[in-house]
Amino acid sequence: MGVDVKGKQMTNPITHDRLHYEDLELGQTIPLGPRTVSKADIIEFATEFDPFPFHLDEKAAKASLLGGLAASGWQTGALSLRMLVDGFLSRIASMGGLGFTDLKWKRPLMKGDTLSGTATVTSLRRSAGHPNMGILTIAFDMRNQKGQQVMTLNLANLVEVRHPAMLEEAAQ
Amino acid sequence: MTRWFEEVEIDKPFDLGSHTFNEDEIIRFGTLYDPQYFHVDREAAKHSHFGGIVASGWHTVSVGHRLMVDRLEAEEEIVRQEGGEPGVSGPSPGVNRMDFKAPVRPGDTVRYALTVTGKRQSNSIPGWGLLFNLLEAHNQNGELVYSADLVGFSKLRDYKMPLKTKALMALATMLVLSKLVRR
Repeated sequence: MGVDVKGKQMTNPITHDRLHYEDLELGQTIPLGPRTVSKADIIEFATEFDPFPFHLDEKAAKASLLGGLAASGWQTGALSLRMLVDGFLSRIASMGGLGFTDLKWKRPLMKGDTLSGTATVTSLRRSAGHPNMGILTIAFDMRNQKGQQVMTLNLANLVEVRHPAMLEEAAQ
Repeated sequence: MTRWFEEVEIDKPFDLGSHTFNEDEIIRFGTLYDPQYFHVDREAAKHSHFGGIVASGWHTVSVGHRLMVDRLEAEEEIVRQEGGEPGVSGPSPGVNRMDFKAPVRPGDTVRYALTVTGKRQSNSIPGWGLLFNLLEAHNQNGELVYSADLVGFSKLRDYKMPLKTKALMALATMLVLSKLVRR
């Protein structure tokens, strides 16, 4: 969001109608997925980003710690992110990710597995340096079709504040 | 790593090489995995606080991972050519911290470096060690693009399995095999 010469906040026409910081609720949960991952999906991602033999070749995968053809952990994360964009980030005035903490690959996502899960808003706070930005933390809990946990992570994402001045006044 | 756990050096930065991001690949990755308007729509992205298209952080990180795999495999080849036996790396249990510091724009060249900052033997998987890695990426202007703490598995070269573990492993293998046979 820019500021014009008079110091007035300019509205972003793309995110204008979306949910802003003020509209979000602590504890709200977004369902993610499902998405079934095929052998072709796994090999396609691994060929480009994670070409270790245990993500490309079934025989090598069986001999590895993974015990069979499994998706790259980065693919599990990318697929989860896509689910969050579809279910949530494309409906809010997102300003991009700040990073994440505690990404844990609990168990491999194997060929033919179906990934689904939830994302929960676990914290909401204003940015200290940027009055027009809020920071939300989103906890991912991703599971396979047996309900077993595959991946967890806490994402920090920026969201526009609709009325920074009003929030400041209310806080005084 | 291409080295065995015992031989991994601490606090020695390892250059993973660089990658120049073009707009097409930024949009392609964004369309598949992170279709927010500032990753996929050139016109709409101008209204964002980035002022234009930027790569998904997940894309920047995935490319860094690719460069690491390539670099490790190239190192392995060198070890083999010198008549040695390369070490074995395993899957990663996770990433403790990932901070995206600066956006990556079309045309930016990002250079990645890996530093092992600590290591210890695994408590859960006999014969393997854990490596604590710091991954850092900088753009052509020397700005930090991201910084991350990753954990990786690395195999021990000299591991004598305790007799008790050996017996348990044999038992587990037998159980698995008998299940397979029944199928």
